[in-house]
Amino acid sequence: MRMLVENWRIALWALRANWFRAVLTAVGVVIGVASLVAVTAVSAGAQQEVADSIRRLGANVVLVDGEFINIGTGQSATERTITPEDVDAISKLPMVTAIAPHQEMESLTISAGRFKATTLLFGITETYGDIYNQAAGAGRLISSSDVSFGRSVMVLGLVQRRKLFPGQNPIGRTVRVGTREFEVVGIQARKGTLNDENLDFRSFVPLPIVTRALLGGGANIKSVGVRIRSEAEIEPAMDAISELLRRQHRLPDSYADDFSTEDQADFVKAAQSATTTFRVLTFALGGIALLVGGIGIMNMMLVSVRERTREIGIRKSVGADPWKVQAQFLIEALVLSTLGGIAGLLVGIGATGLTGTLAGWQVAISLPSLLVSFSAAVSVGLFFGYYPARRAARLDPIAALRYE
Amino acid sequence: MSAASVIELSEVTKVHRSGDLTVAALGGIGFAVREGEFVAIMGASGSGKTTLLGILGLLDRPTSGSYRLVGTEVAKLDETARAHIRGRRIGFVFQAYNLIPRATAFKNVELPLVYSGVRASDRRARVLEALAEVGLSERVRHVPTQLSGGEQQRVAIARALVVRPSVVLADEPTGNLDSTSEGDVLAILERLNGQGATIVMVTHSNEVAEHASRIVRLADGLVVADEALERPPLALEVAR
Repeated sequence: MRMLVENWRIALWALRANWFRAVLTAVGVVIGVASLVAVTAVSAGAQQEVADSIRRLGANVVLVDGEFINIGTGQSATERTITPEDVDAISKLPMVTAIAPHQEMESLTISAGRFKATTLLFGITETYGDIYNQAAGAGRLISSSDVSFGRSVMVLGLVQRRKLFPGQNPIGRTVRVGTREFEVVGIQARKGTLNDENLDFRSFVPLPIVTRALLGGGANIKSVGVRIRSEAEIEPAMDAISELLRRQHRLPDSYADDFSTEDQADFVKAAQSATTTFRVLTFALGGIALLVGGIGIMNMMLVSVRERTREIGIRKSVGADPWKVQAQFLIEALVLSTLGGIAGLLVGIGATGLTGTLAGWQVAISLPSLLVSFSAAVSVGLFFGYYPARRAARLDPIAALRYE
Repeated sequence: MSAASVIELSEVTKVHRSGDLTVAALGGIGFAVREGEFVAIMGASGSGKTTLLGILGLLDRPTSGSYRLVGTEVAKLDETARAHIRGRRIGFVFQAYNLIPRATAFKNVELPLVYSGVRASDRRARVLEALAEVGLSERVRHVPTQLSGGEQQRVAIARALVVRPSVVLADEPTGNLDSTSEGDVLAILERLNGQGATIVMVTHSNEVAEHASRIVRLADGLVVADEALERPPLALEVAR
């Protein structure tokens, strides 16, 4: 035990005596560890972004849309083919835990006083907020009584809130759509962008307002968000919904579906597998950088053993056995890689922060990734320090003492 | 003449091999060194005296023969065991001083104590005592490049003494020194011998050898002469 402490002292002393070269050698390890840290943080950030996207979309949500179809030589009159009965039937499927019928209107102009703004207007029910993780940034969301009484209330998106009520509190104020007036009851909390669509561009009113008052006509709608119990049941649920709707719509076998079903997270999952490839590649690059750093350590240790051959001979002549000589050089390599590893962690954390700020990427530094990178550095030191240390230990004392 | 043998060699041979070439450096040497002796080993270059010193110092192993150091057979030990004995029983003084560069006199003298496992708290006093013994109490924090050749050799002697070895092996200890420093170093060796230290010194100089109490002459790897010297008593020099 005492000898171990002595070995550390001897190794540190030897490194101090040649500190500049030691620092240069450690730089290889620093770069390796830093790139490992940065790469894992960036890819973990990308993965978190994917997870966030799924959360914004709503987890395990299948979107059922009404579609135009060709009937004989003509085309169906409307794409709003989902009936209230369909919604009811879907909600009774065993794997469905919640359902949110909605109807959108594109490029609608809304105004407040002299301010105008366009919006993507959503007619929704009270379940929408739950399925799509909608929250109120101010005021409240669309409630069930808003829907059942067909109240003229609106929840604004952040974009419309900024354009219509710059610097004012919009809650309780009036917004006009054509000749209809709506009371602003809430602001949707920031949702960000998803797949190039700015989700804060959407505004919300109760579903009957859109279907009856703004579009006119019946209660049919185009879209239904359906939350499925688990991710594994998404595929069977989509099949069950198709079968159910074809039966509901009494479609002959020769007719195509007058609706579509889609797993909303599909493209996110595709993006996720793409980032996995990227992750593996960049991690490999970081590993190679560390490997090069390790070879640098081995190179320096070999030069060091050669330069200090006489010193090794002296140490042996005053009683250093092979094991102690080996320990001295191994510890030197270990100290180099450990200090390089620590510096690499700091540089990596700094570089990650800088990348996050400058490139605007989401980054996530995790303790396990730091530990893995650090232990990789230490292992590299042990591995590449072994051979030079072994060589020092095996030197013949007489030849070493005579070495010029 | 009744003192115990520190070194007992019998029939020691050493054959150096390089490729197909074999050179017999020692051809069956036998002699003993008793405690308190100051032996000078002399011989022309190539006579085997350096090889002999390497074997005596356990830096090298004899090809055959027996070597008893303080009663223990050491000829066949492996490197680890020999290293441990070197650290405790043998002090080396080399012609080229062989101090570790960039290490202070203190660090250099401390080294054998470190390797033989002496506690850090016990080391300091022993190192300072050894340096005082060679008159270098004022040079403790100096590195070799800040010391003269004579001072460096005195540091080396302190390093050899610090473990209180059974024998000090000196290989041409004054070979690199001017005559003043040579006198200093030999005086120190004589004084240590006077205090009871056993010393074996290799030299090619008759003048240097005269400071010893006995001269062993080698030629072609064999002992050709072994004579005791009538050394002038120290008291005489003091009186002069």
